[in-house]
Amino acid sequence: MARVLIADDASFMRQMIREIIEPEGHEVVGEATNGIEAVDLYNELQPDLVTMDIVMPKRSGIDAVKAILAESPTACIVMCSALGQETLVMEALQAGARDFIVKPFKPDSVISTLKKIVEKAD
Amino acid sequence: MALDMAKYRRIFLEEATDHLAEISRALLDLEKEMGNVEAIDTIFRMAHSIKSMAASLGYDPVAELSHRLEDRMEGVRAAGRVRDPEELSLLFRGLESLEAMVSAVSNEAEPVPADDALMTALQSEPAQDAVVLATAVAPEAVGGEPKKVRG
Repeated sequence: MARVLIADDASFMRQMIREIIEPEGHEVVGEATNGIEAVDLYNELQPDLVTMDIVMPKRSGIDAVKAILAESPTACIVMCSALGQETLVMEALQAGARDFIVKPFKPDSVISTLKKIVEKAD
Repeated sequence: MALDMAKYRRIFLEEATDHLAEISRALLDLEKEMGNVEAIDTIFRMAHSIKSMAASLGYDPVAELSHRLEDRMEGVRAAGRVRDPEELSLLFRGLESLEAMVSAVSNEAEPVPADDALMTALQSEPAQDAVVLATAVAPEAVGGEPKKVRG
């Protein structure tokens, strides 16, 4: 099971991810509400995995991915994308994000994606 | 697994209400300065956030309109400014329609889809906005001044 940092400016989405993954045994160690916080909290908490929204204030999710991976090349980051963000998802994956989950979240899909990434990282 | 959707409905109403107020403030800022980058970015992000929440709850009309608004703002972002007062009126109209939908959700009613004219105008090429809206809202106005909705 993984220590997870959730980065999303919407409380709605942060709570939903938490509610989906905690029963699976994952521990949410932090929540970031913008891209700057995401990078800072990653460096402070060193989570096993980050769920990263793409559209966030102050610093985009993609910029945050690039900043985290520049310092921590093995960081496991999963993008949270929405309809119409295919190009941005591709950019994030090319930057080094491991995978993506799509809003609206389907709990089973979120769980299986995180499970796959955690198993690969082990 | 089943999520407590009543809880998320409450959160949606709180956050969407805040986001709509932010969109309103940002539109007023754009009235004063059509190239206000911060205001443009705020509207884009707020529309995006409302879209994702609404889609999660199955409020399709809200998700569709906010998606259309988000796409429109992506174009505005790329242009660096709102093109003209007509485009600003269109954005105000999008806001009013979203406010009506969120109000419906608050009253435990089904949100009514946005009218076709608005949806079409939001996705049309900028140069077509005035004609599309004027045709649908006030056909006699075609060729004249577009109808200003708010602001």
